[in-house]
Amino acid sequence: MNRLDAIRGGTPGQDHNARSIAALAANPACDRRAVLDAAAIDKPRLMRRLRFDDRWGQSPFAIQRNQQFTDLVKANGAAHLLRLLRTLLDLPIEEAGYVNLEDAGGNEGQVARHGHTRRVIRQTAEGRGRATILDRPLLRLDVAGAQVYLEPDVIAFQLGGVFHIVAIKSFAIVDDQADTPKVSAAAREAAVYVHALRELVGRDLVSHDVILVCPRDFTNEPTATTVDVRHQLVTLARQLSRLTRIDTILDRLPENLSLDLDALSPAQIEAAVAAVPARYAPQCLSACELSHLCRREAHDLGHLDALGRVVRDDLGGIESVRAALRVATPGEPVADDQAEIAERLRHVARLYDEAVA
Amino acid sequence: MSLLHSYVKVKARERGRALPRATVRHVHLAEAPMVFVPLRLAGEAAAPLGAMVGTDPRRPTLLVVPQPRNRDLRFQFLADLGAVLLPYIDRISRQVETVEAKTPFERCLDAPQIVVPSPGGVEFAAKLGRSSRFRRTTGPYAVDPAVPMLGRWLTFLAEQSEFAGSSLMVAMTDLLTAHWVTGQSAVEDADLAALLGWIDPPEGLTGPEAAALADDPLTPPAGPDTHPEFDRQELQKAIEHYDVTGSATQVEEALHGQLRPTWDRMWQAIGLLAALKESPGATTRWERDRVHVALHRAWIDGGGLPQGKRDSAVAAAKRLARLEAAQQSFEATRAFDDPLVMAEYRADGVAFAGEVVAVDLTRRIVPPGGKREVPRPLVTIETSDPVRLAKGKKVRSPSRPRQSATITSLADRMVTVQIDDGMGRGSQPAEGSVPGVGTVICYTELDPGESRRAPLPPREETPWTHGGPPPDYVPTDDDAAEPWS
Amino acid sequence: MGKLRKAIRQATAAGRHAEARALRARLREAERQWDAEVEQPATQPPLVPVREQVHRALTLLGAPTAARMIVAVDESFFGGQMANTQLTSLRRDEEKSYRSAPGARPYYLCAALTSELLSPARGLLALSTWALPQRIIGPLSPRTDFLTSAVRLAEHLMRLDDVSPGAFRLLGQLAQNIPGAGDGFGPADPAKVIAAAGAELAVHQERDQMDRREAAARATDRLGPVERLFGSGIRTVRSA
Ligand code: SF4
Repeated sequence: MNRLDAIRGGTPGQDHNARSIAALAANPACDRRAVLDAAAIDKPRLMRRLRFDDRWGQSPFAIQRNQQFTDLVKANGAAHLLRLLRTLLDLPIEEAGYVNLEDAGGNEGQVARHGHTRRVIRQTAEGRGRATILDRPLLRLDVAGAQVYLEPDVIAFQLGGVFHIVAIKSFAIVDDQADTPKVSAAAREAAVYVHALRELVGRDLVSHDVILVCPRDFTNEPTATTVDVRHQLVTLARQLSRLTRIDTILDRLPENLSLDLDALSPAQIEAAVAAVPARYAPQCLSACELSHLCRREAHDLGHLDALGRVVRDDLGGIESVRAALRVATPGEPVADDQAEIAERLRHVARLYDEAVA
Repeated sequence: MSLLHSYVKVKARERGRALPRATVRHVHLAEAPMVFVPLRLAGEAAAPLGAMVGTDPRRPTLLVVPQPRNRDLRFQFLADLGAVLLPYIDRISRQVETVEAKTPFERCLDAPQIVVPSPGGVEFAAKLGRSSRFRRTTGPYAVDPAVPMLGRWLTFLAEQSEFAGSSLMVAMTDLLTAHWVTGQSAVEDADLAALLGWIDPPEGLTGPEAAALADDPLTPPAGPDTHPEFDRQELQKAIEHYDVTGSATQVEEALHGQLRPTWDRMWQAIGLLAALKESPGATTRWERDRVHVALHRAWIDGGGLPQGKRDSAVAAAKRLARLEAAQQSFEATRAFDDPLVMAEYRADGVAFAGEVVAVDLTRRIVPPGGKREVPRPLVTIETSDPVRLAKGKKVRSPSRPRQSATITSLADRMVTVQIDDGMGRGSQPAEGSVPGVGTVICYTELDPGESRRAPLPPREETPWTHGGPPPDYVPTDDDAAEPWS
Repeated sequence: MGKLRKAIRQATAAGRHAEARALRARLREAERQWDAEVEQPATQPPLVPVREQVHRALTLLGAPTAARMIVAVDESFFGGQMANTQLTSLRRDEEKSYRSAPGARPYYLCAALTSELLSPARGLLALSTWALPQRIIGPLSPRTDFLTSAVRLAEHLMRLDDVSPGAFRLLGQLAQNIPGAGDGFGPADPAKVIAAAGAELAVHQERDQMDRREAAARATDRLGPVERLFGSGIRTVRSA
């Protein structure tokens, strides 16, 4: 993995978190993203250096709201959470233990905290200890050879020896319905924790049903549901294993490729990024910090992908705007495999011209 | 979407300018549409932050919540919003005519029309409606009487907006993308500023250049969500200033700066749409909207309860069926009203057009189940469209919407249809009732159905809000007391 | 300000959006200071020192408690006014004061100790006058302490004639999370809370006491007087 460090150079890397790991799966076909993530390049910083507007921050109001709600759910030995788990998982009354894993004996380093978490979780799994609610655990995951520390909200342990990841989110569930994109984002993130916890205690001990705790309706009142993240787990595992096989991608890149953000000029950075092939699609806009850069590049090159999946599928096989319009023009020569789409496009072009005339 | 749509997108990209997707306007535009641009506090389900609202482009009303976490201020905002919207709704919905029919029914002379920037705005309006319609106007958690009333109307309007083709509450980005095709993706079309940049760029700019300005920090998003940087750098300080001094001016200034550009764009967009001629279908659907408003007005005036929280299973299924029927009939009507829309269907093979090359007027058959021979003429059309309809398919033509026909044979570029009705009662088809040789005609499987004929849903399908079966949900004290986080 | 405005225009013209945004915010800020160099909020000195407010709340609660809850109890039971932030440095200040003159005060606001590592339990405040086991936090202790506090608040409510609606509301919120104590709506019934909390306490108490006594014995063995109050480990002089 030295190659990756060399690419990053002297610039400090970006710490991964569950959200960024979940986002790895957003555009699995993109080499650029894979390389940048594997090398832990600080993407927001890269964009700032190229003077792109930073749109990735979270509103302070949202952060505050989330913090307040999380505090509420965890207050008084996570009394709210306990009530919810008793209903949702039929947790017996006796199981009421609460351990704050952040209390790692005054040692706040991540290594020590993770060690403490590991020890307590092992104990719990082996039936020693009385913890049911494990607050502020610190898990670890290997991402392309780098150790990434992850902080799920809560891990719950239930009679019968199964762990559940608990995700506390402050978006509301109104009349039993929540915003689908928000639930999916929460599920993707929780899947990362499930995955990391399974690495620690084994697959069978961690449920693929995560527990989502949200405010009910327009109140502050916590309510809980389970969310099945099996699907997200599969996607995640695929993407993580792809990162470990990053070498094959690296082999195709220029040998002295550097993305040392602090050492290079903006023009050099841009050139280096351009040397790593991208796969821009409009979905990137909500999933990848580089999207505005890649979008500009894709449009400059006239890539059809930039117009959306529908257009790409409809014009399957045609790569660029110019090629599409050429194929649609009667009399232009076309390749054999494009004969059919050419005929259809020409017909469509005629229809359109007639109708707007 | 269709291949045609994709092609036009590509073409628009190359031109650097949006291209038309329709030749007429498929939505009714009210004489005085009420533009409503709401903003919400980040991280909250339904905490209003501010709004710009009104029917006069030059004189918007700015409403703000100087401390959005303060419950009383939120209700004050809703009361203020009610003070703008309710008189508008009342004035229009109180003018009713009686339509003579087998069962005469009431219809408003006009209807209110609320225009919001995006589908997110409609959703937010629905949330505001949900959070306010159960409020009590007396007792411990009393609110201004305008609040629950506003909640009921917002709920009604947002529910209606789910029905395709309803013009009571509409999202501007939806309207624009239904009438123009840009050279950017659907994700980007969801941004009003970028979308409008493609359709109507400022002097001297191309579409993509104008759309790029939408990413400029000086171009605020159209809401309901604000830009996180705005929250951090401006709003937070302005709210703190209010907390300390009690003066709302800073919040007002900050929100005005966020809302005004969108407000102006909304009117720019309304101007663009107004320049298109309204389609006959849009007028018919507006009539239907006017009936719905009259029904809801009567329901409220008759002391009916606010809408329930959830539909019962049966009501939900019925509603789904009505939504689907509305969707189908809307799509078909659009195509019948507009050759450019029909072209999308022709491109996909569910419609075809061409010249009539042969007619057999004398053909008579005994229809299945019948006893007597009746005229069933055959019309053969030559078309270059890639027809994907099968033999036996029922089809209709926009130029003769009341007549149905059946495809009897398909050969290379030749389609023969049998005319099934609309030929009079004689033993020979009435003069002009069958398309003649040389006529250019279009046939399609689409059927505008309902919307062309009945302007009112049958009684038993009338939603309970309109006097149908009573709701099974009765709001409780808890609803009125529901603390707003 | 004129300069700032110009810089914004240039930044925007050059497409340097992030910069323009930051500049614009600075401009707003400058404008604000310009025309609003006025009112500063007046901070009122509290009638009772924070230290004492916390003491009376903890005495009522009878168990190590987090700042938020202490503030809530102080407000609804004693009509007090505290901000969470006033409590953050309390434990550190108390520790300093204890170190400089051990035992000079009748009581200290101190830490609760985690049963496993005898380190200060995050976010909890306790009273030095309590017996050591009472200040130990084992796995079941947050639950038993919560139930104990609920019982004590309910008992207190039953003793009083004139109770603020806020106190009932607070008890109602706690009751919501105790099986059989209330539904979370409307004012709570103290007698019901006492019975329900008592029933659940009976389930946990024995095991919890065992853990606590065992850890307390360890603490007495191994820790010096300061550590016994403020916990062992290098974080003793950090946040409460
Ligand atoms: S934005 Fe660029 S780097 Fe990111 S996933 Fe898309 S194409 Fe890849």
